[in-house]
Amino acid sequence: MSYLITQLVREWGFLLRQKYVVVLLLCSLILSGFAIYSGLSEVSAQQQTIERLKAADQSDRAKVQQKQNDAGMLAYYSFHLTYSQPSNLAFAALGERDIFPWKHRINLLAIEGQIYESDSQNAELAQAGKIDFVFVISALAPLVIILLFHDLFANERTSGRHDLLVTTAKSYFALWGARITVRFVAVIICLMLPFFVGAVIAGASGSEVVYVSLLCIAYLAFWTALSVWWGKNATSAPRVASSLIGIWVLFAFIIPILGDLAINKSVHSPKGGDIMLTQREAVNDAWDLPKSATMQPFVKEFPEFAPYIDMSSEFEWKWYYAFQQMGDLKAAELSKAYRDAAAKKYELAGFVSWISPPLLLQRSLTRTANTDSIAAYDYEQKIRDYHQQLREFYYPWLFYKGDPTKAALENMPRFESTTQSSN
Amino acid sequence: MSINNFSKVVIVAKDEWRYWLRSKLAMTVLAIGLLLTLSSVVVTTITMHELSHDRHELQSNAEQSFVDQPDRHPHRMVHYGHYAFRTPSPLSTLDPGIDAYTGNSIFLEGHRQNSAMFADQRQGTALTKLGSLTPAFIVQTLAPLLLILIGYSSISRERESHTLSYLLAQGTSGITLIAGKGLALLSVVGLIIAPLAVSALFTVSAGESLLAVASFVVGYALYLTVWVLLILLASSVFSKNSGSFTALAFVWILLCIVMPRVASTSASTAVPSAGKIETDFAVKAELRKLGDGHNTNDPAFKQFKQSLLEKYNVNSIDELPVNFRGLVASESEAKQTEVLNQFAEQRMQAELKQTQVSRYFGWVSPMVAIRSLSMIVVGTSIETHHRFLRETEQLRFDFVQGLNKVHIEVLDYQDDMNRNADAAATKKARVSAENWQILQDFNFNVDSADVRAQRSVPAFLQLLLWIVVLLGGIKFVGKRLI
Repeated sequence: MSYLITQLVREWGFLLRQKYVVVLLLCSLILSGFAIYSGLSEVSAQQQTIERLKAADQSDRAKVQQKQNDAGMLAYYSFHLTYSQPSNLAFAALGERDIFPWKHRINLLAIEGQIYESDSQNAELAQAGKIDFVFVISALAPLVIILLFHDLFANERTSGRHDLLVTTAKSYFALWGARITVRFVAVIICLMLPFFVGAVIAGASGSEVVYVSLLCIAYLAFWTALSVWWGKNATSAPRVASSLIGIWVLFAFIIPILGDLAINKSVHSPKGGDIMLTQREAVNDAWDLPKSATMQPFVKEFPEFAPYIDMSSEFEWKWYYAFQQMGDLKAAELSKAYRDAAAKKYELAGFVSWISPPLLLQRSLTRTANTDSIAAYDYEQKIRDYHQQLREFYYPWLFYKGDPTKAALENMPRFESTTQSSN
Repeated sequence: MSINNFSKVVIVAKDEWRYWLRSKLAMTVLAIGLLLTLSSVVVTTITMHELSHDRHELQSNAEQSFVDQPDRHPHRMVHYGHYAFRTPSPLSTLDPGIDAYTGNSIFLEGHRQNSAMFADQRQGTALTKLGSLTPAFIVQTLAPLLLILIGYSSISRERESHTLSYLLAQGTSGITLIAGKGLALLSVVGLIIAPLAVSALFTVSAGESLLAVASFVVGYALYLTVWVLLILLASSVFSKNSGSFTALAFVWILLCIVMPRVASTSASTAVPSAGKIETDFAVKAELRKLGDGHNTNDPAFKQFKQSLLEKYNVNSIDELPVNFRGLVASESEAKQTEVLNQFAEQRMQAELKQTQVSRYFGWVSPMVAIRSLSMIVVGTSIETHHRFLRETEQLRFDFVQGLNKVHIEVLDYQDDMNRNADAAATKKARVSAENWQILQDFNFNVDSADVRAQRSVPAFLQLLLWIVVLLGGIKFVGKRLI
């Protein structure tokens, strides 16, 4: 035991005396710290925004309810906030939340006309991408590891110490194992320490933290093993590093880019614009069609309103909302194909990620943090479900119960936020 | 530099090329570099052409279906609405910029300013978070890495194999040696940029101005020159190949991979901007004060009604020679639009401020500088998107007011008021489809080349500063080369 410790202590000493190693480790620590800090502030900004929106949404609807009594007008002018809370791990994996919206306001009009509205952030910043912990680990850490480990053997060879060291060392571990262990542990500490601090601040659960740590350590171990193995017989350190960086470029850029091209070629998706046009045509044509053309298919969906479809004038709100819903129905197939195509693309991207470790790590972490496109589709489905609930709430008032009382409005369905974490 | 010196420089450069031709690594790297640039040019050109074609088609379809609508109440057409699609600029085949991140279609209707919809990224595979196969990405991020792989040892190699002192003793000055190596690397830069320049020139036939093409190519040439200088400097300073390589790889990670993201993250933290939904509440509150344009009895229009009666010298709205409901719709649309535009402008200014902060990072990273330069010159930067938003808003306002004018002048007030009485009355409250010929052809054009060039001046200055500083450093080191 003490033998082991002496070896390790000696290597720590070596490590701390090498200037470029220390600089590299410090940079990793700073970057990881910056990523965690900005992740935390982004998540807290999102949470504050949601809180502000909730308050504003309530008072806005209250004003509408004060001004309007008519059920149809109420439904037209009342908007309802929906949102998707960032999970406790979102600070480490901001994922797709800068591209997919995480807040939405809807009213009772056709949902297909509303759901694609995006409240996106600055596009130029989104295009540059953000620094989050996932980025630091999956994209940057391999480079740090390559720079730290590529010259392990080559360095000793070029300085002519290699053979001497090998013959005089007590064991393989004493010579290389201790050195590798020390460097590896140092990298892990520098990269992961900020994450642990962040996890405590954000209140992430212990099991999530352990899972993320295991994934990250396994990933870093993979790159370390690759770098050490690749450099074993080399005499020129830069040559080792350039091939390793080549592998990194292959994993991080080439495979994903080719995969993306192939997937986009193979999966056909309806154009978003077509969904909108279909829905709009359906809704607008309804104005000129006989009322029965809207009401007949409508009561097929909602037989309970069949006795109340007669109209006493040329315009009634029940008919108006019925054709909004029929517009959705017409676009439903296209809209589903659009979502299915996106889901299919995501699924195929999963296969691609099996041959690209950085992608695999990114996907696993964003899945755990519930910030990937699956989470975004779940949120979209939640909005659709909520919209359906609103319809079911309003329809009886529109069709036969007359104008809702203020007390009845209290029972309006409320949006339940998406879960805090995927577990 | 005298002729004699220049020929020496050329000899050094030729010698460097000879070394590359013999080295497997250099040739592989060169081949990969060329292959990547070429394929990215081809792939992006095809994609952007498809996009351009699709959006042109969608635009004309939208216009066609608008005029094909049957006889209707004019206000129905206000809600029927219209679409505007942003067609990409010719040069965007080389740098699609934010095209995939902003929506590229907008639904235009009365009383509302919708946001752009259907950003391509949302249909993406999430595979290209780190980079995509666009010429811009390849040349901005990967080309420097390739240059490093080829050039890191240009001087340090001579030193390590002890040929440097020999060369210097022969009378070749340090500066000449560095210049020769630099010339060789610049010729590689030329090779990488060539496909870019050729396809950029092709866009001239598609209507792109020579000024934009020239700024684009020169910008990238300057950028890669910065990297050549960085490589020469590192190679001269470090005594060993490995030192020079490690330092350059580290600098590349910092400047190309880390800095752009630090820039965007810092910008969004430094200048927080409220999202659309959030500002919408403020907009709503303002709009509520203006009254509901659908409701002629809204107290907000009392004064407007009074002034109309006085203007036409009549006692009641029934006696007005024009349709009062149309007038109210038109009046309230104009007022609403004023409010909406005021808030939209605020949002755009906030976004510009954010972008500005991230662009300041160009002083510390040439990658950030070329990134903004490229997007600005090509016309795929945030400014262009804002232009699209402003132009579509003008389009929206024009067609809505055009329809309101029809409402005022063509549709009789009494017919309008009775429109829901029975089927015959509804039919009477319609105007002929001939009135739908009010749309202007919408063609989105990016800002003129002059404006784009002007915007890119700071980025050019950033790159030039890098070059000046690095040249100074090399001159300093070159004299002390041993």
